[in-house]
Amino acid sequence: MPKKPLEGLRVADFSWYGAGPIAGNTLSQFGAEVIRVESETRPDGLRRVHPFAMNPDGTFKTGYNVSGYFNNFNTGKLSIQLNLNVPKGQEVAYRLIEKCDVFLTNFTPRVIDKWNLRYEQISAVNPRIIAAYAPMQGLTGPHRDFLGFGAVLTPVTGISHMSGFPHRPPIGVGTNYPDYVINPGHTVTAILAALRYRNRTGKGQLIELPQIESVVNALGTAVVEYLVNGENPSRMGNRSLNASPHGAFRCADDPESVGSVDRWVVIACRDDREWAAAATALGHPEAAADPRFATFEARKANEDELEALIGSWVRDRKAEDVAAALQAAGVPAGVVQNAQDLLERDEHMRARGYYQYVEHPEAGREAHDGPAFRLSATPGSVPGPAPLLGEHTMEVCERIIGLSMDEVADLLAEGVLV
Amino acid sequence: MPDRALDGVRVIEFADETAAYCGRLLADLGAEVIKVEPPGGGRLRRARPFVRGHEGDPNASLAFWVHNTSKKSVVLDLETDEGRTLARKLALTADIVLEDCPVGYLAERGLGFDTLHAEKPSLVYTSVTGFGQDGPHAHWAYSDIVGQAMGGIMTLAGEPADPPNMIYGRQADISASIQAAQGTLMALLYAEATGEGQRVDVSAQEALSMAQETAMQTWDFQKRNRTRTGELGMLPIPLPATGVAKCKDGYVSLYILAPAGKDLPALVDWMREKGMQGPLDDEPYRTIVNQLNMAWLTQLMSNPAAAGEILQHLPVITKTILEFFATMSAREAYEEGQRRQLLIGIVSTPKDIAENAQLRARDWFVRIESPIGGTVEFPGPPYRLSETPAVISRPPRLGEHTDEILASLR
Repeated sequence: MPKKPLEGLRVADFSWYGAGPIAGNTLSQFGAEVIRVESETRPDGLRRVHPFAMNPDGTFKTGYNVSGYFNNFNTGKLSIQLNLNVPKGQEVAYRLIEKCDVFLTNFTPRVIDKWNLRYEQISAVNPRIIAAYAPMQGLTGPHRDFLGFGAVLTPVTGISHMSGFPHRPPIGVGTNYPDYVINPGHTVTAILAALRYRNRTGKGQLIELPQIESVVNALGTAVVEYLVNGENPSRMGNRSLNASPHGAFRCADDPESVGSVDRWVVIACRDDREWAAAATALGHPEAAADPRFATFEARKANEDELEALIGSWVRDRKAEDVAAALQAAGVPAGVVQNAQDLLERDEHMRARGYYQYVEHPEAGREAHDGPAFRLSATPGSVPGPAPLLGEHTMEVCERIIGLSMDEVADLLAEGVLV
Repeated sequence: MPDRALDGVRVIEFADETAAYCGRLLADLGAEVIKVEPPGGGRLRRARPFVRGHEGDPNASLAFWVHNTSKKSVVLDLETDEGRTLARKLALTADIVLEDCPVGYLAERGLGFDTLHAEKPSLVYTSVTGFGQDGPHAHWAYSDIVGQAMGGIMTLAGEPADPPNMIYGRQADISASIQAAQGTLMALLYAEATGEGQRVDVSAQEALSMAQETAMQTWDFQKRNRTRTGELGMLPIPLPATGVAKCKDGYVSLYILAPAGKDLPALVDWMREKGMQGPLDDEPYRTIVNQLNMAWLTQLMSNPAAAGEILQHLPVITKTILEFFATMSAREAYEEGQRRQLLIGIVSTPKDIAENAQLRARDWFVRIESPIGGTVEFPGPPYRLSETPAVISRPPRLGEHTDEILASLR
């Protein structure tokens, strides 16, 4: 087994839902020991929502440990149950933080205050701690306690206003989008930068990642257009300022695509050469010379017609064939894939082995997102299944925190480890 | 000047659209990022939108700016022997090489991982492309929308009657770059500890895949594809106090059935204070309002038939709630709703974000020099590090540092 790059790093993961736990998951996939602090008094909501694993008889499994949503974001972590609403629980939290390199949370400052987990409190316990706080809106300011998750950030940060078709209201993008890559990815980036600083100076630090700031930073040019040009841009569907055609075109239905038989291909022509190649590859070289479409300016001026024309070329063809023909001509194109495609039908994903499968004691065999970046000498991997709620309470208390069996028994009896 | 987390780290970047944001994250954290550009610059230098009145000026593309703050720029022509020789010399001064060229392009020019790593074993070499370095699609042509389509997120966005929706803001490129930044820093820490460099390989398609949310597991467990459902997202049917609500001057998005906030009765309390509760205090609505929460919703998703006769009463509840929000401004709905711990998000336009009370109170926006003169306001960094803050300085003019950097190679 090659070494993982973060071996020896210990993370106290006091986060929940998506953005926080995914940051912990990335660290876990690359070798860190990540301890998820949970409580049955307030379990992670993702433990309680679909998709649940199924029994052989077609019914859903039940309980806190069978949600694929939770399990995918918590691979290989240890789970300790700890009631942070009582002072003794907070003392145990301090003793855990003392033994960790990284502290991670995405609760609002209101909850952090209630649990006495502010930076000045935990850094007094462990001055070397790298403490990452990733609340919605930041630790200060008039909106600091505003609640939310990815689906609330999507409208607040401008993604909803800027995405989708102009004739529709701002319906969002169908998911809690910023929870999955932007916010956990920025969080881990900051933690790794802080680790480098600590390696060189011995000093820990406070990382504040207000999710709203993290997302707006990664939102293209829209806000800069306002700040610099005084313009207030709006959504333009799948079109682009820099490419035409640029969009999704309906192909022949695929009855084997369960629950979503409509199939679409995306095409992006960034210059006249790509457009001419696309028209030729789709069997219509005459369209490349058509003055309505010959230049970028002409295609933008006649974009409705252009899109209708391409739509008529591909409507009865198999999406995979259209994409392959365009790719053979060097034109960026691809099928709008669903999860079935990605898990089972995309030969490229399969060849690269992106998805990894592990056996979970309650959910059974599960697919997991593998590492989203590959390190040739020190690769990450899915380290194991997600923990059952409280599965490692005793182990964490004894091996990591160093409590005696008697102390653990007392804490259990007093309702602290719940 | 504060301490910088990536002080002393040199990055040589051969990147255009897909890896540039990774380089920017490293540069803002204090690395010296030298961007090697072709004569005339790459696609982003020519990408709209531009500073108004400066269309076509390679130093005035806002798309270039947002991906390239805090870097230096060197122009080298990799199609000439001289350019390749200089690029190679320069790359060997680096701790990190960052690139998003077509697979094989740099190797053909003597700048591939194997060659450079053989000469400098501690080198971290990060490649960010549409489909990664190997596999049957490694050589496929890529553009952001292709990554969004192939990565599985477009199929989840949009109205069923429309084509699937792309997410604004080059999100496949951004995701690939953010994944690359993490991998690059892990590899850098490892190289600094052991002297051993390595290849970091990022595929934009894979970089986005996590953002399919539950679609992957829904297929894995239940052999069912999630598809685009407009504003419903994961909800099986339209439910009161979820989705877009029109206000007097804009929109808010409601997620009041979701956990972590207060449930529907708290919204009805607010409506009652304004005399707008309509029939919701009367049966059967009163009972239903108390019943609609996350636990009920999970039950509904396991067994849609269990909702039974509640469903016929939901439209009246929804209509009453939408009428309430139509009486106020979006900002009032957002701020007062959030004060009451109701999960409500305002639908911000770019102007709204620039004027956002929270961002302004926290002094988030920064002022940087404009590459074409004067200063401009600019979005701040994604995070605040207390000891080693990210500092955003202006993007470089095309070839601005060519003489300085090449002189240092002699």
